[in-house]
Amino acid sequence: MNEKLPIKRGTRNFLFAVQFLALLAFCLPGTSQANEIPENVWDLTIQGTILDENGQPMPGATITVAGSNTGTVSDIDGKFSLTVPDQASIVVSFIGYTTQTIEVGNRTEFTIQMIADETSLNEVLVVGYGTQEKRDVTGAVSSIKGGDIQNLPVSGAAQALQGRAAGVNVVRNGGAPGNQGSIRIRGTGTLNNADPLIIIDGVPGGNLNDVNPNNIESIEVLKDASASAIYGTRAANGVVIVTTKRGDFDQPLKFELNGYTGVSNAIKTIDVLEAPDLALLKRERYTNDGLAINPIWENPAYQTQQTNWQEELLGQGSTRNMDLTLTGGNKNSSFMLSGGVFEEKGMITNSNFRRLSFRLNSDHKISDRFKIGQNLQLVSINQVSPNTLSAQTGVLWSAIRFHPGLPVRNEDGSYSSSQISGEFGDINNPIFTQETQDNNNTSHKLLGNVQAEYEILEGLKVRANLGLEGAISDGYNFNIIVNDQIRASPRNSLSRSYNEYYSLLAEYFISYDRVFADLHKVNFVGGYTTQTFNSDGFNASKLDFIDESFDQRFLDVGQTLNSIGGGKSYDALASYFGRVAYDYDERYLVTATFRSDGSSKFAPGNRWGYFPAFSLGWRISEEAFFQNVGFISNLKLTGGWGSLGNQNVPGLQYLALISSGRRYSFGGNQTVGAAQTRIPNLNITWESAQMTNFGLDIGFLENRLLANFNYFIKDTKDMLIAPPTIGSIGTAQIPNQNIGELRNQGLEMELLFRENKGKLFYSVSGNASFIKNEVTQLADGNFIGSRLYGRSSQELSRTYEGFPIASFYGWRADGIYQTTESIQNDPNVANDPRRSEGLIQPGDVRFIDLNGDGLIDEQDREVIGNPHPKVVYGLNAELGYGNFDLSLFFLGNAGFDIYNADRMQGIDPTYPFNMYAETINRWNGQGSSNEIPRMTTKRDNLNHRTSDLFLEKGDFFRLKNLVVGYTLPEMLTSRVGVTKARFYVTGQNVFILTGYTGMDPELGYTDGNLQLNADFAQYPQARSWTIGTTITF
Amino acid sequence: MKNSILYLLLSCTLLAACEDNILETVPYGQSTSSQFWRNADDAVAAANAMYEPLVVEDFYGHAEHTFDIPSDDQFRAGDHGEDQAIESFTFDAGNPQLFYSWRHKYEVISRANAVLINVPDISMDQNLKDRTLGEAHFLRGFMYWRFLVIYGGVPLILEEDVLANEYNKERASMEEMQAQISADLLAAADLLPESHDADDLGRPHKGSARGLLAKLSLYQDDFANAIEYGQQVLNGPYPLAADFADNFRVETQNNPEMLFAIQSLQGWQENTHVIYTTPRPWGGWDFHEPVQDLIDEFEEGDPRLDYTVYQPGDMVDLGGDRGVTPYTEDLSSTGYHFRKYSSWRPQGGLNMSHNSPILRTADVYLIVAEAKIRSGLNGDAEINAVRERSGRTPMTNATMEDLIHERRVELAGENQRHQDLIRWDKAGLVDIVALYQKDLGPLKPPRNFERPKHYLFAIPQREIDLSNGVLTQNPGY
Repeated sequence: MNEKLPIKRGTRNFLFAVQFLALLAFCLPGTSQANEIPENVWDLTIQGTILDENGQPMPGATITVAGSNTGTVSDIDGKFSLTVPDQASIVVSFIGYTTQTIEVGNRTEFTIQMIADETSLNEVLVVGYGTQEKRDVTGAVSSIKGGDIQNLPVSGAAQALQGRAAGVNVVRNGGAPGNQGSIRIRGTGTLNNADPLIIIDGVPGGNLNDVNPNNIESIEVLKDASASAIYGTRAANGVVIVTTKRGDFDQPLKFELNGYTGVSNAIKTIDVLEAPDLALLKRERYTNDGLAINPIWENPAYQTQQTNWQEELLGQGSTRNMDLTLTGGNKNSSFMLSGGVFEEKGMITNSNFRRLSFRLNSDHKISDRFKIGQNLQLVSINQVSPNTLSAQTGVLWSAIRFHPGLPVRNEDGSYSSSQISGEFGDINNPIFTQETQDNNNTSHKLLGNVQAEYEILEGLKVRANLGLEGAISDGYNFNIIVNDQIRASPRNSLSRSYNEYYSLLAEYFISYDRVFADLHKVNFVGGYTTQTFNSDGFNASKLDFIDESFDQRFLDVGQTLNSIGGGKSYDALASYFGRVAYDYDERYLVTATFRSDGSSKFAPGNRWGYFPAFSLGWRISEEAFFQNVGFISNLKLTGGWGSLGNQNVPGLQYLALISSGRRYSFGGNQTVGAAQTRIPNLNITWESAQMTNFGLDIGFLENRLLANFNYFIKDTKDMLIAPPTIGSIGTAQIPNQNIGELRNQGLEMELLFRENKGKLFYSVSGNASFIKNEVTQLADGNFIGSRLYGRSSQELSRTYEGFPIASFYGWRADGIYQTTESIQNDPNVANDPRRSEGLIQPGDVRFIDLNGDGLIDEQDREVIGNPHPKVVYGLNAELGYGNFDLSLFFLGNAGFDIYNADRMQGIDPTYPFNMYAETINRWNGQGSSNEIPRMTTKRDNLNHRTSDLFLEKGDFFRLKNLVVGYTLPEMLTSRVGVTKARFYVTGQNVFILTGYTGMDPELGYTDGNLQLNADFAQYPQARSWTIGTTITF
Repeated sequence: MKNSILYLLLSCTLLAACEDNILETVPYGQSTSSQFWRNADDAVAAANAMYEPLVVEDFYGHAEHTFDIPSDDQFRAGDHGEDQAIESFTFDAGNPQLFYSWRHKYEVISRANAVLINVPDISMDQNLKDRTLGEAHFLRGFMYWRFLVIYGGVPLILEEDVLANEYNKERASMEEMQAQISADLLAAADLLPESHDADDLGRPHKGSARGLLAKLSLYQDDFANAIEYGQQVLNGPYPLAADFADNFRVETQNNPEMLFAIQSLQGWQENTHVIYTTPRPWGGWDFHEPVQDLIDEFEEGDPRLDYTVYQPGDMVDLGGDRGVTPYTEDLSSTGYHFRKYSSWRPQGGLNMSHNSPILRTADVYLIVAEAKIRSGLNGDAEINAVRERSGRTPMTNATMEDLIHERRVELAGENQRHQDLIRWDKAGLVDIVALYQKDLGPLKPPRNFERPKHYLFAIPQREIDLSNGVLTQNPGY
């Protein structure tokens, strides 16, 4: 050790930990040794026990005399003894725990409880094929502790991740049960699949929703190229590493029981017209057009308000979770065993998510040098999801529009129906739709691996990781005969599908860890890995079930065969990888990574991609010249560059495929044909992302205040896009082509302040990401279109070069024409034939003639809005006082637009539907409105075309989680053998501040990455309250 | 022990590293184009696949029929926002209706081109090979014919373009289009059989190709050829059905008069136009409502009216629980629905095996009659063949006015009227502008047809944008 410099606490902890591990490895367990100290210098011999946060004995903690480097480590029972000088203090430390300084005084007996330090610099991060201490990390890595997301009433870890880390944006795609949303790390990295790679306990490719969040020890997010390049193959969109909890060696059995239950309710509904006002406006539109009023609107039978369809549809949902975890271990083996059930029933009837989960993790020391570990996860998931994305049959869309003068059920018990008149629109009674829906998807999944590690020489290990991921998915959908609703379906049908998927992983690698001459720390890992992906399935469908009873809804019963199909696919990856990290004197850090990846998705010759990365770090705070800067306790600068790959597109696109099963009939006989269904792209190969990252870590006030800043530029090249192609090719699928370029750049900040004063503990943390997304190149300067809205196929989003992905695209509106003169004098329509034909009238929208040709047409559109937030932020406050704890988690998005398509159609009188309540404020005479156009049945001026009239600011700030807990005093619980008993109340989506007028500003994606934040009346998020308890014994 | 484990791990590593073929994969259950085109089965499969796009909703399943809503026969009805602009001639090139069927037509052409490129090299029964190639020529000609009447010239994608991967071509001239269609249909007439047995009903035959050639010739004012090709059909085994209604009943819809129809089979590949034309309370989507002006065109007592439209007072057997149900005025905003495309199953519900007629012998009779009248000959025989089948009194020295009347009532709702009127307007036989200015009631107010702009619809803006300036727009749009 360097005598000249005071040794940082972290360093000391680390070295003592290494020392302890060495002792553990080479000595017999239980023989901890104090340093050799001349007896006469010391005055007092003290003894004590070190306990962990759960009151269990803690072996291996370091106890030193303050101001010296003399000390000892606690033994297997947590006990220690140490001789100290008079008036001394002792310093107790352990990796991952807050270091405590205790005055010895006259005491000789100590019981010291350690407090887990979840943010200390000593934190160990899982970085792919190994771990690194946070202070040594030179890439951008965010870490979330399992404790932060424990017992949140959400179906999966993805939802719990929302807002927890800078640069990690969890986009909620509505609030349907089990809908986990989309994770976007450092912006949307590509137009194709931009989901990050998920690695669960070392097996890539799993699903976050499969893991019981209460089993999670930590989640690490590898954000920049340097950190994630080790997973080069699929790392271009970031890597999320989930590590589940494990047992410890020599740990007494411990049970933990978690249970919570709660209810959820709608936060908001859309105000729609009541029956009398609806009839009034419908009549007005005929009168305005000089048409005879359809008599149905004069009929008083349909002018009495009867039903608020949204309130009928959106009931009370519920959430329930129960899980039990057992951990323990002896000298050679440790285990963690957990089982749980999570169930979420949505606000909408018949929308559910249920997960049964089981997990067994264990570790075994075969010998001092040979270790084996194992993980096994079994999950069964059942999910029922309603359709809330269609602007023709979506169930919430229907509820907003169904006639309010109809009852849910008629007096004879049958469901009401808009078959009464075509004027009521072709919408089925949404309650009928939802109550008679009969579909569900079940999947049974297995994720397991065995890891073996053999230490050949000190620091040199050979490791193998063999994994299996498997899933059996089973789909069921029964459609009943519908005769009494307007969207009739004269035949019933049952479809079943069955698919088996399995993936085999093999990883073989060596790692080498050594410190030379106390100055040169070297870490190397390198190896070879393969992963194969197999999928095999079939489906069948039959029609004409004479009996629709639930016990008759089986394929055997159907009388007419509709279809049978099946197929199989195989994909594989093979990779060589290596990483070297070098640390000189804890000051200068270098990491270099290289990965070479082969993917079966590309043609021979284009299969292999090469992805290098390197990064540098300088821990300025370790420099001699920095030692006088007292208030800064840690300062680290990092910088790196790297290249990453993405192959997340369908395979075999280099082949011209002929598909059979093209149906037609001759003379009433079924025939099948075969046709080419995809144009080949012989040159398809890897998409790559090149990322540059600069990072700054600062710790103030003895690291009670920590700050982290990262700036990055991420350039996606050779982006795989299936561009829109001229129709003369036909309808064959266009292959992905390496043609686009995209840039994401941004700044990320994370701040944490924590303080511990006696009984009071508090911490405040915040993170914010400012990310700018821009498509820098598309083929031939064209755009990529997206999902169209409604019957009239309105375009909402386009992706253009020079703009963010999925920009809103349309016309610009400028109020409403109040008078005929204002139309006659309007240069926007000076040459528009519609004006001379009298097709533009007062009460119509004035659109802006962007190209100045005096008429409003397709050429007058432009990008009108950006759906990507300029800033995404999260704020977390935790307060503990004695046995009480409180945590508040706020989430915010700012600086983005929402296209309120539902409102666009909701105030459009040309549809035969109910309308938004605000439509009553329509233009009906000069000066009556400058926002809501007149009532008409005609679309001559297309008042409700896609325009900025329906563009809204989406900014919101919401209290996502509120947790209040109370832990029973230990003296009370220990009498019944309970170590810890905590009760809590959790609120989810407690309140929201937003100017957005729709149901919920968290709308998410509606067409891959090509459409974002367009309001289709998606399943909204609910406000939920749960109560729960955690008992440990 | 320790060493053996080490060796085991190392050997695994080496073994795995040598597994080079792990990245090899194949398209299970599909063929690549190089594995296909082996035998007659492949040729027939490829030919069968050509028809599939015809029946989809964005083509003859619905969208193609929208090109007739400007006519004075019908009100668009339905709830497709873009249709109003088509009907009232206020559409621009961005109207989505204009592109719905565009790519499906080219898909049929693409599949036909694949047959024409690959089938000649297959060694197979010559008759079957001729039929297959004939079908490909017919369908390609038929597609370019539809392109021609809707948009004028479009890029002509033929075998050599496919082989050269050349799809972004300039629009062909009207003459080039006509020449190509004519060449394809002549080849089809040469290669196709006279007729098909029961298992192949619905495939085109010589009559289909010659009938379409007659129509093409008439549209080019080539009356001699219209008569020539038409007569070949009329002399062939394609007699008029005994009853006009036989053409619109599922049991008899493939009778010899039906020269070509889009086939539909319930539960297999269904023609959704059946749903589109049916009243909503009867399970339909309520598009294409006939207007009074069309009803008034029918002569008193013409039985064709009963099978062309549903009128208030008609009793219709909807099958199942509903049974015989009266058609009432409130089912429609005009008071009528087309009947030619719907029939019901005995157990209830629409019979989805109802075809979409494209070309009938009756149409060819009227083509020949028109060609004769317009070339100064007497067309009575042909026009009367059609009239007498429906019990109408024969005409003597029938005029174009008589012919126009006859076509309107015989072919109402069969996607002919708007194109007929354009053809006659160009020939100075009718004044389409005046006709469309007629006020046919609040649902069908006067509309401004601009000559010559509206003779053709606009090329879809999407196609122009994607062609990078290669495609040009029709004048006026």
